[in-house]
Amino acid sequence: MAGTIVEGRNVAEDRTLTPDFCIIGSGAGGGVCALKLTEAGFDVLVLEEGPNIPKEKGPAPAQERKMLNEREVEMYKLLYQEGGTRLTKNGGVKVMQGRCLGGGTAVNWSACLPPRLETLDEWQKRGLPFTRQNLDSYLREVVNYLPVVRNDKYNSSARKFQLGCARHDIPTENLPNNTNKCRECGSCGVGCPYDRKMSGFVKWLPDAIALGANIYTDTRVDRLVSSGDQIREVHAHFIDHKTRPTKRKLIVKPTKGVVLSAGAIGTPSILMRSDLDLDKRVGKYTHIHPITITIGKYPEETLPAYGVPDNMWTPKFAPGPTGYLIETGSFFPVFSASATLQHGDELHRIMREYFPTGAISYAHHTTGFDDKEEYGTVELDDNGEPQLDYKIPKANVVPMRESLVMMARIHLAAGASSVYVMRNPPLEVKSDADFAAIRKIDFTKPQASTIYTVHVMGGCQMNKDDKRRCVNNDFTFRGKKNLWVADGSIFPTALGANPQITIYSLALWAARGICEQHQRPFKLNHQQGGELPWPGY
Amino acid sequence: MAGILSSALNASAHPKNRSEVTQTTFENLNKKTALILFAVAESVLGEGFLVKAPRFIETVDDFLNYQRAAQRDNLLLALLVAETTFGLMIGKLQGFSHLSLADRRKILQKLRSGTAQQRNIYVAFVNVSAATYYASDLTWPDLNYPGVSVDHPQILNHPPPIPWRPADPRPIED
Repeated sequence: MAGTIVEGRNVAEDRTLTPDFCIIGSGAGGGVCALKLTEAGFDVLVLEEGPNIPKEKGPAPAQERKMLNEREVEMYKLLYQEGGTRLTKNGGVKVMQGRCLGGGTAVNWSACLPPRLETLDEWQKRGLPFTRQNLDSYLREVVNYLPVVRNDKYNSSARKFQLGCARHDIPTENLPNNTNKCRECGSCGVGCPYDRKMSGFVKWLPDAIALGANIYTDTRVDRLVSSGDQIREVHAHFIDHKTRPTKRKLIVKPTKGVVLSAGAIGTPSILMRSDLDLDKRVGKYTHIHPITITIGKYPEETLPAYGVPDNMWTPKFAPGPTGYLIETGSFFPVFSASATLQHGDELHRIMREYFPTGAISYAHHTTGFDDKEEYGTVELDDNGEPQLDYKIPKANVVPMRESLVMMARIHLAAGASSVYVMRNPPLEVKSDADFAAIRKIDFTKPQASTIYTVHVMGGCQMNKDDKRRCVNNDFTFRGKKNLWVADGSIFPTALGANPQITIYSLALWAARGICEQHQRPFKLNHQQGGELPWPGY
Repeated sequence: MAGILSSALNASAHPKNRSEVTQTTFENLNKKTALILFAVAESVLGEGFLVKAPRFIETVDDFLNYQRAAQRDNLLLALLVAETTFGLMIGKLQGFSHLSLADRRKILQKLRSGTAQQRNIYVAFVNVSAATYYASDLTWPDLNYPGVSVDHPQILNHPPPIPWRPADPRPIED
């Protein structure tokens, strides 16, 4: 019998539930585990802090999700942690994380890269079991199931990037997407209203519900209650459409176990609130991919909000422990205005000059390979809410400057008359002579520039080093036999690639382990298909 | 501690009344912080900004619901600190909202290059103001931004060549 989605905001009484498994979080890790454990015959309950995104047709042609109206402020409130205003403790990095049915998969830009081989090698040194070879079947499952495709319709930002790179002999490649007949509205980052992005609420979760999984949205987990090596209960409360508690509570008493998939800030915070972090290692070594951004100003109108946002990149600068991936995107008025670091007439001039004729490129920076650095720490504030204490690692300062220089060079070569660099005070680069100013930016100083991240990893890592290990190689949390962690928090370093495909694949691995432990069938159903969409991988 | 400080600053703040701020009920702001927010936004965006963002105060007030409680409290505290102390940064004893637009912008300029805390306040004020302003449809013509596809389906169904890939004759898949 099919399961259902219960919207916690509408629950009028306290409830107690007794599924086999309680999965906390409905993003990349939670969605996969929900489907595979339900397929194996378990009674599965998923708890999601964010709201449901019901399938309800809107007025535009083929608009499948009326709630997703592409308007930035409304969608940031609906779909993102802290309404899209999550910041690191020192205010230096804007942390964009999903908080809705589907989690990060609902709001990412559809970019699909495999785990970086260099990173897998590094992880093996730290005792993790994953290799290119033993991940192959999981990668194929994800690629064929979603599917992951090569969409070669490029927006203006991608075309300018391709042109500028060609003039500098920098190779560019198609970046595969998990889209199906994309309508090119450009709005991946605020939720696809047309169900053309194969996010969790389009694929994994409906398939799990069809097989019997139940989902509670608007449900914030307070703590796990344990005795001995077992988690006995999950305590949660319901929140309303403005994220305020409704005063109604949920207690889950799972008979077989709990899977934590609340992401690299959410998962450590739940463990800390549950007093399961006895030796204070949870939340440590949290990593991000700090993002540097440039916007080029071109002679002609570019309509930068529309088109496929993220299907072009260059791998040239990716290698190494502090390498970076340059990708392209789309951008919108609110995002642009909140990144300018400008006020008064200059704010409006920048918006009026750069928005209509702009093209964006940005770089994700790899971090986390140097064991001498501590990187970020997830902490609980006085209200028990998580915040990430993070300072840009010194080793990344020069690569971050160089990524800005390289992106500016590419824009200028493609015909941009100037390039906006979100430094404080802002910098408009018009020639090579301006690169010296970029090379002076002190990224370790908060608010010296606008830095974003959309990828948070680590904080509950798998590691052979007993002083760092929170999660065992079978994905169980240390000391608890019925608690598994299946999300990006298990990464011991940053990945160096967009992480959704890796999280999907590792969650499949985790689900297989759970099924085997309980002697239930685990099957990969989508192994038939062509080559993986990453040439040479 | 922050709560006590906020209460004390709220009692001592007497922001300038503005006829443009007509809202009387709030979820997170109060009349005083709404008036200070107006003065901050005016210094970031310029006079008459409500013409193109008429729901500015209401939008910010609602948005604060979604922020982490500590971060929300910090923003409200920053507004009160601005009103009660920032005039001193340019040698004036008046509250921030009573200062001329030029003086308020001098303060913004000082904040942006000040201490880490001052820079954070600068960025918070600028981000809140600029993001809320440009969220309003009425500002979009200034940016030549046609709007979102669910309101303007012709963006999706425009016959080729569509503007953002002029050299590509292929139609959009359906």
